[in-house]
Amino acid sequence: MNKRTSQLLALVGVGALALTACTSTGGSTTPEASPGEAVSSAAPPAEKVDLTFQSLSDQPGAIAATEAVVKKWNAENPMVQVKIVPAGWDGVYDKLVTQFAGGAAPDIIHYEAASVIPFALDGYLADMTPYISEDMKSDVNQGIWDSVTVNDQIIAVPTELQSYMVFANTKMLKSAGITVPTGDTLKWDDFRAMAKQATTGGQFGLGWGLKSPTATFMSLGLGNGGVYFDGEGDTAKVVIGDGELKLPNEIMAMNTEDKSLEPSTLTQSGGDVLAGFYAGKYAMTVQGSYQAANIAKDAPEGFEWAVLPALEGTKSAAQSANPQTLSVNIDSKSVEQSAAFVNYFASAENLAALNTADALIPASKAARDLIAEQTGGKDGWTEILASGDHLEAAPFMKVPNYTQWKDTVATPAFQTFLAGQSDADGLSKALTDGWTQINR
Amino acid sequence: MGRFTKPGQYLLLLAYLIFLGFPLLWLISAAFKSSAELNSLRVNLIPTDWHLANFPEALAKQGLVRSGLNSTIVAVTTTILVIVVSIPAAYALARFKGKLRTLGVGWILTSQVFPVILIIIPLFIILKNLNLVDSLLGLILVYTTYTMPFALWMLQGYVAAIPKDLEEAGAMDGASRFKVLREIVFPLLMPGIVATAMFAFVSSWNEFFFALVLIQTPDNYTLPITLKMFVGGEGKVALGPLAAGAVMAAIPSLVFFGFMQRKLTGGLLAGAVKG
Repeated sequence: MNKRTSQLLALVGVGALALTACTSTGGSTTPEASPGEAVSSAAPPAEKVDLTFQSLSDQPGAIAATEAVVKKWNAENPMVQVKIVPAGWDGVYDKLVTQFAGGAAPDIIHYEAASVIPFALDGYLADMTPYISEDMKSDVNQGIWDSVTVNDQIIAVPTELQSYMVFANTKMLKSAGITVPTGDTLKWDDFRAMAKQATTGGQFGLGWGLKSPTATFMSLGLGNGGVYFDGEGDTAKVVIGDGELKLPNEIMAMNTEDKSLEPSTLTQSGGDVLAGFYAGKYAMTVQGSYQAANIAKDAPEGFEWAVLPALEGTKSAAQSANPQTLSVNIDSKSVEQSAAFVNYFASAENLAALNTADALIPASKAARDLIAEQTGGKDGWTEILASGDHLEAAPFMKVPNYTQWKDTVATPAFQTFLAGQSDADGLSKALTDGWTQINR
Repeated sequence: MGRFTKPGQYLLLLAYLIFLGFPLLWLISAAFKSSAELNSLRVNLIPTDWHLANFPEALAKQGLVRSGLNSTIVAVTTTILVIVVSIPAAYALARFKGKLRTLGVGWILTSQVFPVILIIIPLFIILKNLNLVDSLLGLILVYTTYTMPFALWMLQGYVAAIPKDLEEAGAMDGASRFKVLREIVFPLLMPGIVATAMFAFVSSWNEFFFALVLIQTPDNYTLPITLKMFVGGEGKVALGPLAAGAVMAAIPSLVFFGFMQRKLTGGLLAGAVKG
């Protein structure tokens, strides 16, 4: 082997790296079909259409429910066949960014409102407004529609939602002389008093997993008028006032003044707190509503529990609606057919089956009524479904830099506050200064 | 050496082994626990009730076997390609000085500083134009390309450690360049080749991001993608089936390491050039 040959071989090894060279990106085109009247079933196309549906359903029941809907659709619509492409939640944002930029995105996209809005702002999603049936429009709260509306265009159909609910060990509450509350809502002051009363002999009134607290504060903060953001898009500003600080201050007071909140739970995730809840370390815990299904499955035998009415702050029982959604790729060759499938998917019967399997709250009232009827309100369904009436759009969802602010500014700032290492003024300053830095 | 030195060393070694092996033991333990036990405050390595249902659930739910096969195809092919290209290239880089070598080494180091997120979109477009998106071949090419720089860098270090005197001694005895490479260099390079092969295998076996973005259909999913699908939205995790799936996913990797580590022998050069 001579020197020249050896150098050529070296070049082969190194040259493989050249594959990573850059090229230009693609762009969007306008949809082929023109939106017409509201359609729940589009006119059959002249040629057979194959649609891809990227689904993020992960629970066995939800996967089965999704497959059943698609199977039924395919049987009823031989000219428009839908194929499910399962994907996972983890990393799906990066996957979609690449798919859209590379012109290879699926026709129908399952995601969540807060994360899908940036794609709408970039012009990748079709306007669904003309395709949504009037029945569906009137059956979903305006607050939920607002969460999927961008520049007066509905860019996704909401399907499933969650709320934050109080789960209670009813045996512990009764032992502490507390009557398990009923009714439409539970006022925060009453909840705090219950937690204090239930704190006895080494047992705490409340365990609250606030390891990643921002989403919780953004959602429940609405009940105190805490909106955190003023404006939309790139001009949005962080605003921190009494409404925004109310919930963090209340939680700190429960921890340091009332001593009713188990302090170690503040550093745990919501799911981690459940083990202590089952073991009777605390009488109540605040969790995502979907945990009702896990509690029903995993709680020890004889564990007596209930879901309490939706928490009501100083202003209302509002929580932010960040629904799972179905959107249509604007570059799809069959926007109309894709939208028709989305309409079909969002029927009350289909949403009820899907949400029951996922233990989530359907966006439409008809589906909620169906679940209430089918479950008889068992395992907290009555309270969870009722909380769906209080879900509304929150300003943070329309702020493009929200995710970056949440991860790099808000979460560390809230954690520092909950650890007692900063006060309300420090928290307020960290949240606003962090926003300024991000947008510099 | 004191009376307690040797037992002390063994004790430290045992502690280190426990430190290394405990996560794996805990994973195996979790694979046999029910959801209720995993969500209780009991901390026990041995499951109270051996819950075997996690394994069939893991196998049935996400097509773990098919993904395992895909991962094996991708990882083994990548490893072979990386080794086949790296051996001569590393030899040339280590032995021949010149501008091309400087350029090659510079490019190897430079290629390591690019974040994956920076190159993913152009890479996706290139592969799409070549009809290689959503194909195992495309993934193999990407993994080979991405693993190659470090593998080359690693292997050329092993080549450089082989004294030139040995090759010159072979030449003096009348062996051709090819015979010197085959009879002297290659056997001495074997531990380096094995270490590099292990690196290439593990890199492609565990790789998540490229597979996530480039593979579109479940038939072509690799194990990291399939395992991630046990982690759902809203923070939901099917911990038992995930642990069972992870245990099963680790088996081929362990077999590969068990087979390869026998060849990972050091010290072959000790005293090779002493007079």
